[in-house]
Amino acid sequence: MDGGALGAGLFGLMRGLTVPALAILRHRSVLFLLVVAVAWASWELFLALTAPRRIDPALRSALQERTPVAVAITLGFAPENFHIRLFQSYGVVSGVRGTTVLVSRVSPEDLRRIARYYWVQRITPSDRARLPPVP
Amino acid sequence: MMAGWLGSLLSAGRGAIPFALILIAWALATRAGVLPAMFLPPPGDVARTAWQMFQDGSLWINIGASVGRVLVSLVISVPLAVGLGIFVGLRRRLSPVVEPIAGFFNALSGIAWLPLAVTWFGLGWVSVTFILFNTIFFLVFYNTLVGVRTVPRIFEHAVRTLGGSRRHVIFQVLIPGAMPNIVTGIRMSIGFGWRALIAAEMIATSTGLGFMIYNASNFHQTDTILVGIVTIGVLWLLTDRLVLQPIERWTVERWGLVSSAS
Amino acid sequence: MQRYREIASTWVIILAASIAAWSVGAATLPVPDYFLPPPGAVVSTFVELMAKGMLPTFIAESLRRIILAALLGLFVGVPIGLALGISRGTADFAYPVLNFFQSVSGIAWLPLMLIWFGFGERTILIAVNYTVLFPVIFNALLGIRSVPQHYVNALRTLGASRWRIVRDVLVPGALPNIAMGVRLGLAYGWRALIAAEMLVGANGLGFMIFNAQAFHLTARIMLGMGIIGALWVILDYFLLRPLEESTIARWGMVQR
Repeated sequence: MDGGALGAGLFGLMRGLTVPALAILRHRSVLFLLVVAVAWASWELFLALTAPRRIDPALRSALQERTPVAVAITLGFAPENFHIRLFQSYGVVSGVRGTTVLVSRVSPEDLRRIARYYWVQRITPSDRARLPPVP
Repeated sequence: MMAGWLGSLLSAGRGAIPFALILIAWALATRAGVLPAMFLPPPGDVARTAWQMFQDGSLWINIGASVGRVLVSLVISVPLAVGLGIFVGLRRRLSPVVEPIAGFFNALSGIAWLPLAVTWFGLGWVSVTFILFNTIFFLVFYNTLVGVRTVPRIFEHAVRTLGGSRRHVIFQVLIPGAMPNIVTGIRMSIGFGWRALIAAEMIATSTGLGFMIYNASNFHQTDTILVGIVTIGVLWLLTDRLVLQPIERWTVERWGLVSSAS
Repeated sequence: MQRYREIASTWVIILAASIAAWSVGAATLPVPDYFLPPPGAVVSTFVELMAKGMLPTFIAESLRRIILAALLGLFVGVPIGLALGISRGTADFAYPVLNFFQSVSGIAWLPLMLIWFGFGERTILIAVNYTVLFPVIFNALLGIRSVPQHYVNALRTLGASRWRIVRDVLVPGALPNIAMGVRLGLAYGWRALIAAEMLVGANGLGFMIFNAQAFHLTARIMLGMGIIGALWVILDYFLLRPLEESTIARWGMVQR
């Protein structure tokens, strides 16, 4: 850097400062962030792994063909406004029967996204679906 | 830095330049017709509306409502909070337990209480003032409590060694020692309280500056909104200049505190 | 040891007494049922909202918005504040206008934003980001201004360039104020977020408690309030306060 004993001394001071600074970071804040990151990652993994189980096999072919489908999403409880609004962003909500919400024009990607919600029990084709025959 | 009135005049002038620039840019933008008038009315319109509101009293009613609520809440909450904070802070068994609880309620204070307040008191000035009360109270209470608890024990021991009684300890050591925290708490409570008030007035009542600007947005009266915004800013600048800065100067002289923007 | 036992027993007494008083009050006060749900109702509401997937979404939405605002404040606000504060001239220039815009909190701008952008995510983000940004800029500016002149002079006599002075003296010296500004900005921002969510909708904890009030679901209101407070306590205790304390410990020229 700049020449001379004084310059080297200042630079050494700067470098000396950074090591203790790192040590301080090995503190509450960083540990906390690490724990949060690990917890979040594992949760996302869990969701991704359990998602396929929720989709009825009859929908598999529609997924592969990439056609929009009409589905019946069964929850474990009576849906609230919150859930209706959420499904409205994925398709056209045509009705609610007890704990089941009927949504049509759901694209395959959106179907997978819906399957990732842990509070969704099952997704089945609704009666008004136009599905290719099951092989 | 130039001394004397010329220096401070120049400094004030320099500070006013950004405002002038903003005004000019605003006037030019509206003249050029870049945005529809509803989005950004020209400064002249806003000034005219402001003058009108001055004259027919509607501005004064709203200013009075908002400022009045703040003053009433301050006058009642601050002494209560300081008194309670000192009382609890002195109790060695109670204060370590109350402190985190107070911290929690401090974190909760403000607009988060609004739905509960509306459930209990309905819409209106009671709910709004309740929110202001508890914002100011918990902030000052918590800061007082922390202030009393963090006075270094050595001062207390020193007074005791010199033969001081418990009363000496309380009034000569703990309360003065806690003053910086108490004053900081009061200053911050004005900042937080004012913001909570504006938000609460938007939602829960029909007078006050918050209500004035929110209501105006429902009728697309953008000029009224801008009058309200400028009023809020000016009121705060006045409070800062007339109330907060003197407090800060007083405490800096006495206890060497640091200035911060709140 | 004796102290800890005393404190622990005080905790138990206070908690037990509060829950008891709450339950008794809920059962006996001559008010409608929805005024004061018993503690059990709040717990069962928690379980219910978790099972329905609503609570995680609300929490995630609010956290996402405040984190975005924090990032903007840090990466945009701090450099701007530092740049404005470096010379006395620009600092004098900027101080009043920053003070003015900081005092008009994001929520006061919300009605105007509603006219410009309607009821949506963008309005919330603008209001919250604005609220966080100005205290950060302001305190960064104050921080740099508060570095004692003799440190700068010391480096000048040693022949340091302007850049070295900025990097080795001004920025570290401003760090305590920057940390304080970030903490203050986020404190204001968190509350502005809750208020904005109440006014605009679009999910989030503010929306949750505001919506619950319309349906007299008071247990949800209390649950939401508890979570709002708890989230801030966690954020403050684990992230903001340690950062502020470590900057003071390292570079603190702040007299406390």
